[in-house]
Amino acid sequence: MRRLNRRLLAVWAVLSAITVIYIWIDHSADHHGTAHASSAVTVIALLLAAVKVRIIMREFMEVRNAPILLCRLTDAWIAGMSAAMIGFYLAGRAVAT
Amino acid sequence: MTVAEVSTPPCRTRQVPGQPDMWFFVLFESLIFTSYFCVYLYYRAQHEAAYLAAQSQLTLWLGVVETIVLLTSSWSIARCVEQSRNGRYDVARRDAFLTAGFGVIFLILKVVEWVRQIHLGNTFSSGDFFQYYFFLTAIHLVHLLIGFVVVGVAIHQLSSPRRRSQELVETCATYWHTVDFLWVLIFALLYVVR
Repeated sequence: MRRLNRRLLAVWAVLSAITVIYIWIDHSADHHGTAHASSAVTVIALLLAAVKVRIIMREFMEVRNAPILLCRLTDAWIAGMSAAMIGFYLAGRAVAT
Repeated sequence: MTVAEVSTPPCRTRQVPGQPDMWFFVLFESLIFTSYFCVYLYYRAQHEAAYLAAQSQLTLWLGVVETIVLLTSSWSIARCVEQSRNGRYDVARRDAFLTAGFGVIFLILKVVEWVRQIHLGNTFSSGDFFQYYFFLTAIHLVHLLIGFVVVGVAIHQLSSPRRRSQELVETCATYWHTVDFLWVLIFALLYVVR
């Protein structure tokens, strides 16, 4: 029980740490305090969010203990969501130029 | 608890956490939200300067605090499920109350943020970015309010020995985690993407 509680605490700490990384990404993307559009920042932000969603599903939602079908389905779902978001973003950029 | 009990169980003993119907709902909801996100990103990429100017009026650290508060609520409900599974119903009930408490903190922070934006003159009709901002955060908040009812059901279940259903507690937790991971995506889209 204590071991499992420590695992949940570690999961929460990792998720919170990834959230704090966003502040660093935001600061590093600015040039002298001015925000600039950046496809690299956008893609990294979306991929980090996808990693967080997967951790929430695997650990908090206990998908790691679920039947293989649900494991594969949720992984495919996250991959599909991420691909769609990045794809639509890049398509929008392509249309704009 | 031994290491073997913590590690992944063999395939034949694996069970879907909660009711399978809730998983259909989770996948369906994430599909609906993904369609909103795709439309937002598509138009954002075409009008980057306008979106960046509007986005710069959001406070990133407030979004970070909101995210960590909601992650903490998810952690609480995950502990609730585990305590309930081990028959420690009083502790499980306390964790469910903590989950609702962190949800209330998130709700207050979100309302404070909305009021601040409205005072700055940023409303639903202040351009595309704030239209998406208010739409996405409001529809998420509706899910959060439903989440309070769901956590209430879990607390009700845990309160009496005659009602205790582990499957229902897991189902309630699955819904709450969905509210959490949808916010994780909304936070990245509204506060961080460039």
